[in-house]
Amino acid sequence: MEYSSDGRIKRGNHAAKMYIIIIIKCLKTLAFTGMVGLSLGERHFIQGGIAQDLRSDGRKRLTYRPLSVETGVIPQVNGSARVRIGATDVIASVKAELGKPSLLQPDKGKVSLYMDCSSTADPAFEGRGGEELAAELSNALQNCLLGGKSGAGAGIDLSSLIVVEGKICWNLYIDGLVVSSDGNLLDALGAAIKAALSNTGIPRVQVAAGTLNDEHPEVDVCDDEFLQFDTSGVPVIVTLTKVGRHYIVDATSEEESQMSSAVSISFNRQGHICGITKRGGVGLDPSILLDMISVAKHVSEQVLNKLDSEIASAEAEEES
Amino acid sequence: MEYVSPEGLRLDGRRPMEMRQIRAEIGAVSKADGSAIFEMGNTKVIAAVYGPREVQNKSQQINSHALVRCEYSMANFSTGDRMRKSKGDRRSTEISLVIRQTMEACIMTHLLPRSQIDIYVQVLQADGGTRSACINAATLALADAGIPMRDLVTSCSAGYLNSTPLLDLNYVEDSAGGPDVTLGILPKLDKVTLLQMDSKLPIDILENVMQLAIEGCKAIANYIREILLENTKQLEYRRGV
Repeated sequence: MEYSSDGRIKRGNHAAKMYIIIIIKCLKTLAFTGMVGLSLGERHFIQGGIAQDLRSDGRKRLTYRPLSVETGVIPQVNGSARVRIGATDVIASVKAELGKPSLLQPDKGKVSLYMDCSSTADPAFEGRGGEELAAELSNALQNCLLGGKSGAGAGIDLSSLIVVEGKICWNLYIDGLVVSSDGNLLDALGAAIKAALSNTGIPRVQVAAGTLNDEHPEVDVCDDEFLQFDTSGVPVIVTLTKVGRHYIVDATSEEESQMSSAVSISFNRQGHICGITKRGGVGLDPSILLDMISVAKHVSEQVLNKLDSEIASAEAEEES
Repeated sequence: MEYVSPEGLRLDGRRPMEMRQIRAEIGAVSKADGSAIFEMGNTKVIAAVYGPREVQNKSQQINSHALVRCEYSMANFSTGDRMRKSKGDRRSTEISLVIRQTMEACIMTHLLPRSQIDIYVQVLQADGGTRSACINAATLALADAGIPMRDLVTSCSAGYLNSTPLLDLNYVEDSAGGPDVTLGILPKLDKVTLLQMDSKLPIDILENVMQLAIEGCKAIANYIREILLENTKQLEYRRGV
């Protein structure tokens, strides 16, 4: 580039000027689109690290951060759990209420998922700011955990929630709260919900004799006898985030800001896919997608084992 | 209903002048500049502080001192019966305002001109006295963030039921319909920064109830100071000083 004596670019050197303008424009758009303010150097560092299979926190591409589970954290609900993956911290709670099953599915209970992003996790979640992400997370979790609209393929056996067919059933309300966010919220919430469900005790219900055929049967809820859920069928979610030409698991928020797309796949114990959600605007080659699924399946086995042992030790600790 | 038994015990087994068990923990949200968990019995809140940082909305910038903002929110599972509340209902807006004003009074805002401090409080379990718990958590979080303050504001509530002044009301006592005095003080400067009361109370009894709440605030202040000291020792140890 040629400069005049006062430091400005010489008039006439049009190409150089345009070049600088384009750079400034690029930087401006990046500053607005990136959730995390990263410099060009930092971005190269993250991308380069992922390409070399050594990420900025020392992990490999397919390694999870340490995961810890604490159950029974909220005393006023039927089941709850807090899951921490690195600096990501989420709480899930399960509340059971007696209700009426829907007319279309008289033999099934209802499960509703509500996620909430607390503004403590990120100032951007202030006011209604977190609602969009919360809705996205609720939807993805619904896809991955609850199966189709008919309830087929759900991780939870919905027919076990029935008290009197067509008249009384348990409604499960699953609430999630993101307390601290450092990427990979979906996997963390999925794990927290699984842990909360295994922590859940549903009170035993006795239907008063003789009122079984009435419109509103009388029920007696036991306070001391609880039924545990079978949560072996509840899947885990593994999110693969594509950065550059490679994909990684358990991305931090810095890494997520560099992603082109992310695929969340949920697997159960048998290794069956229970749901898939793809996020991010950039398209994926179908063959890469299939490759990602097989990698995710392999990772999910490790995650399931790790999660199961963490849940078991958390339950043991709570009882002691 | 009898809130104090003839033996002088309350519904949860406390004496009238006894506080619930308090527990505090610093650094619950690692991404925030300062954060804390504060528990008073079954009430549990998380506070996170972001800042001092650049003002996000330039039109709100104040050239002489810092802008303090606060948001209070309750988790869906925080109360006994589950309800879905949208953020920004009247109650949370009012509590946000109360917390903001109380914290603003103790932060030395003139030292941080053209900057913004955000305080977010999230209620995880609500069992009465959330206002007080939020203020205590916010104080700890602000101290953790290293924001200059005149003093550590602490807050505690007191009530008057069955002709007995009661310290630190829980939800059942709070909803009994008696007076509920929420007090916030600057313990070292010995000044009251927050005083709220509903229902009616004779002046001479108010004096007693207020005195009881002040004692409660001072006890909490001592505890908070201990926790902060312990935290500083830990930090010092980690730095290897």
